[in-house]
Amino acid sequence: MKKLNILASLLMLSSTLFAQVDRSKMPEPGPAPDVEIADYKTFELKNGLKVFIIQNDKVPRVSFNLIVENDPILEGDKAGYVSIAGELIGEGTTNRDKDSLYSEIEFIGGRLNTSSNSVFVSGLSDHSDKLMELMADVIKNPSFPEDAFNKLKKQSISGLKANKNDPGAISRRVRKALLYGKDHPYGEVETEESLENITLDDCKNYYNTYFKPNVSYLAIVGDIGKWKAKRLVKKHLKDWSKGEVPSHEYETPTPPEKPLVAIVNRESAVQSQLNIGNVIELEPGNEDVLPLKLMNKILGGGSTGRLFKNLREDKAYTYGAYSNFSQDELIGYFNASANVRNEVTDSAITEFMTEFDRIIENPVNSEELGNAKKYISGSFARSLERPQTVARFAINTARYNLSDDYYSTYLKRLNAATPDDIQRVAKTYINKDQPTILVVGKAADVASKLEKFGEIKYYDTDGNEVEAPTLYENPEGLTAKKVLNDYIKSIGGKENIKQIDNLKWVQTATMNGRTIEIANYYAAPNKSKTTVSMMGMNLMDETFDGENMSRKLQGQKQPVSEDDLQDAKINNNLVPEIAYIKNKEVELELLKPQDIDGKMAYQVKVIMPSGKERFYFFDSETGLKVKETGYQEGPDGESVAQSTEYLEYKEVKGVKFPVKVTIPLGPASAEAKTKVIEANIEMDKSMFEVN
Amino acid sequence: MKLHHKLTSIAVGLSLMAGAQSRKIDFEKYELDNGLEVILHEDHSTPIVTVSVMYHVGSKNENPTRTGFAHFFEHLMFEGSENIERGEYMNIVQNSGGTLNANTTQDRTYYYQTLPSNQLKLGLWLESERMLHAKVDQEGVETQREVVKEERRQRYDNQPYGDFIEQMFSRAFTQHPYKWTPIGSMDHLNAASIDEFRDFYKTFYVPNNATMVISGDFESDEAKELIADYFKDIPKGEKEIPFPKVEPVKVKGPIVDTVYDEIQLPAVFTGYRIPKATHPDFYALSMLNSVLAGGESARLQRTLVDEKQLALQVGSFPYGLEDAGLFIFISLPNTGVDLTDLEDGIYAEIEKVKKNLVSEKEYQKIRNQEKADFVSSNSTTSGVANSLARYDVLYDDVNLINNEIDKYMDVTREDIQRVAKEYLTKENEIKLYYLPADQQNQ
Repeated sequence: MKKLNILASLLMLSSTLFAQVDRSKMPEPGPAPDVEIADYKTFELKNGLKVFIIQNDKVPRVSFNLIVENDPILEGDKAGYVSIAGELIGEGTTNRDKDSLYSEIEFIGGRLNTSSNSVFVSGLSDHSDKLMELMADVIKNPSFPEDAFNKLKKQSISGLKANKNDPGAISRRVRKALLYGKDHPYGEVETEESLENITLDDCKNYYNTYFKPNVSYLAIVGDIGKWKAKRLVKKHLKDWSKGEVPSHEYETPTPPEKPLVAIVNRESAVQSQLNIGNVIELEPGNEDVLPLKLMNKILGGGSTGRLFKNLREDKAYTYGAYSNFSQDELIGYFNASANVRNEVTDSAITEFMTEFDRIIENPVNSEELGNAKKYISGSFARSLERPQTVARFAINTARYNLSDDYYSTYLKRLNAATPDDIQRVAKTYINKDQPTILVVGKAADVASKLEKFGEIKYYDTDGNEVEAPTLYENPEGLTAKKVLNDYIKSIGGKENIKQIDNLKWVQTATMNGRTIEIANYYAAPNKSKTTVSMMGMNLMDETFDGENMSRKLQGQKQPVSEDDLQDAKINNNLVPEIAYIKNKEVELELLKPQDIDGKMAYQVKVIMPSGKERFYFFDSETGLKVKETGYQEGPDGESVAQSTEYLEYKEVKGVKFPVKVTIPLGPASAEAKTKVIEANIEMDKSMFEVN
Repeated sequence: MKLHHKLTSIAVGLSLMAGAQSRKIDFEKYELDNGLEVILHEDHSTPIVTVSVMYHVGSKNENPTRTGFAHFFEHLMFEGSENIERGEYMNIVQNSGGTLNANTTQDRTYYYQTLPSNQLKLGLWLESERMLHAKVDQEGVETQREVVKEERRQRYDNQPYGDFIEQMFSRAFTQHPYKWTPIGSMDHLNAASIDEFRDFYKTFYVPNNATMVISGDFESDEAKELIADYFKDIPKGEKEIPFPKVEPVKVKGPIVDTVYDEIQLPAVFTGYRIPKATHPDFYALSMLNSVLAGGESARLQRTLVDEKQLALQVGSFPYGLEDAGLFIFISLPNTGVDLTDLEDGIYAEIEKVKKNLVSEKEYQKIRNQEKADFVSSNSTTSGVANSLARYDVLYDDVNLINNEIDKYMDVTREDIQRVAKEYLTKENEIKLYYLPADQQNQ
């Protein structure tokens, strides 16, 4: 064996010696290839429509993309109408109802999409004429059918509801309301109410006022010749009549005076969705755009960014942390974001702030900058593979009045940026002194640690400020023991409890249409038996004779650990709270009170001798127990709360018992109602025998 | 001259009838001595090149007590190698002006980078490092474990309906490893020892279990030499590569269940077990899907969304995999609509396809749609690379990149009716209701 090994290593050695390549070094690149932007043709119709033709025969397809450009519109109490109008434009024309329109277009393998400022048609280039004809029909003759309008309205409302619990959707809504303000077109939030307010006439008015050729651009991309394209446009769109469109101006949104921590409370959240940002004034074509692109790449543009490295790779707070920005003629934004675990929410914000400081205060090193330049040049080159990119460049040049060589000199200008430029734009566009920090997450877990970042305000999912969830304090002198003693008194007191020798208690719960029966038997001082069955089938059986315990799941005997046994001796009292006070091995801790259904509940943490923890909640007025919670490990190692809620009590022989309870059943929960509860009856003691 | 002109116009007419011809994708395929399959496709229109490797390993190759391994490896394989420092893989690609990504399905794991064309050598070096001696160590495992946990929270647990595929597959399959999905179990990942990870690497990350594709702006002769330099000395794997046994096609249903989720709108997901993606019936089922859900004029959209306005969204798709598949319907009711009404609406449409042949016109429409989709499907170098790798690894027939359309065109109207009757049956059904968590006490 030994010989063979030597031979093998010799062979390895020889293969390394004769190998063609040196693996230990990263290969050097060859000479940089030229990056060329394809040519395009452009012309304007008499009605003012500007047309761009980008010929590319790689694939036998053609697409027509119309962009209508207007000042953003403030929709007020009808937020959402512009977007519904845009969809409605694709719901049929005066010549074709929706069904025939889409049947015709899909029959030739084509697609059609409309929005408030665009109409897009694509298909096989063999059918260019038909595609253009159908597109022109949509552009010129939308029929605005009433039933389609009602449908879209209904869908928008349903869509809002569907997204109501989606933390991403909540963040997007609230973030824009906070950044731009609800009186700015970029900050308006659609609500069920605003959607209800929309009328069909609103949509028609939008189309009649704003959908005009003289504010529109049409890009024709694909396997189509210039002359044919020109002929088709003239044939189908020259009679689209032009018209004056109104212009709108808005006040520029301002950042909050001092840092704002905005919390949208989501009780069930396991993660906080963080967005930290500010508005920026940066119109397309501004000379800061490329340096800012580089700055953003270095800070948070993907997996090589500093935010990603810090928050994901070093700290493992998140799956990803990024930043981005927008250039906009009206107002843009800078934003950094991550989804982080509840318990590291504050630490994550600290890291964001640290990274902002670092890039504002210190120049980036030349290697970092060089890498960012290579990355952005590379993606610029890759984007040119799609002819749609060339179309976008052509339209942007016209739309934003960019210089004719804006894109052809793009790489040159990108490569000219210096570390000073990067620091300057970081300082200009990251407003680290007046950020808006939006946290969509569980306030009870995260809020108390966020005060250091700014003024905390609470918002609902529509971006309206709401009152902070009530955070209660314990009264002076209250102890965990006192809370438990008050509870014991409130259910009838020790004397009455002592009078109960035995108890039979049967509860039923319904889950997915099936009835589950839970039967409990108790005999003083701490014998007990619990059986859980479903439609006559025994699911669980647990018996405790005061010393020993047996547990069966569906008839299969389960092992009982020493820890379980030790805890069971304490827990199997009729009112275990009495034992919790008495037993020295049980630790009690008074935690902060919580709001349960609008009422203050004292919270006691009980740590059993085994180390298991449970949290008990007692109504601060009645003293009654209203809830208890334990945590179990879920299928993925996460902590899953299992809560029992006590909704209603009934007195039996002078002692109150909870007769309506919500119990956890696997991942869900169900309401258990008491069918039978009797004390001091004749009971066969043999049922408590453990075998 | 006149005759010539006439001939031309006839030819033009004919080609119109046949529909547009897709540009043929030329490729060359060969195999190295160590079993690595190589596919080259030159396209000089943009100065970029994609280097990709598809390993024939997915969640279906996993040990049932170690689910999530294949996807976990997709993460681990960016930790570095003997010559690439930890965490530098992504940086190297991006700092060279490239982009990269990877993904894992039940059947295969795919890695690719698209680079400026002067960086072909870099791409080959990176992939060969990954194949030869990737870093599989405790530190990497621990870092990536946290990342994968977050991915699970973000993409599945914290998203409305986020786990429906997982819920569906766990009921549709009782034996086959498709009963779990690539994200797998965090407990299994926690419990795994470093030796198990190393063993997985040695078993599956070997040249004889992989296909490499180079697509874009490069010269084949030069590329072949570089490929030999970087890959020919990577030793062939010595372990047996396990693949699961295939289960009978249909389920013994109907299986009906309810999932309570943090949602506002209820939803119904209905699945039917169907054959594997290479089975001729799968093409018929795809055409059936176009009839039901292929666009605005398709039957489900037209009837349930537009006419009866029962659904906010309704759709279907055939989920095709190497060993078996599922045909899945997704539907979200409009506000105030009873779930049963929406379900009945979907059943009525299914019954209609079973009872009557689709019309000639509708049949022609879905054929045209398939053609249009087919010509559009390979318009980027990275898209071509992915298709070539997929056809090789999962279909064992690279020529499908040019002629898979024939398989769709072979489907008759009768086939469509037949597969609807055969597979979309109550006995073969898995139905999942998603209900808002706050309804669970009612």
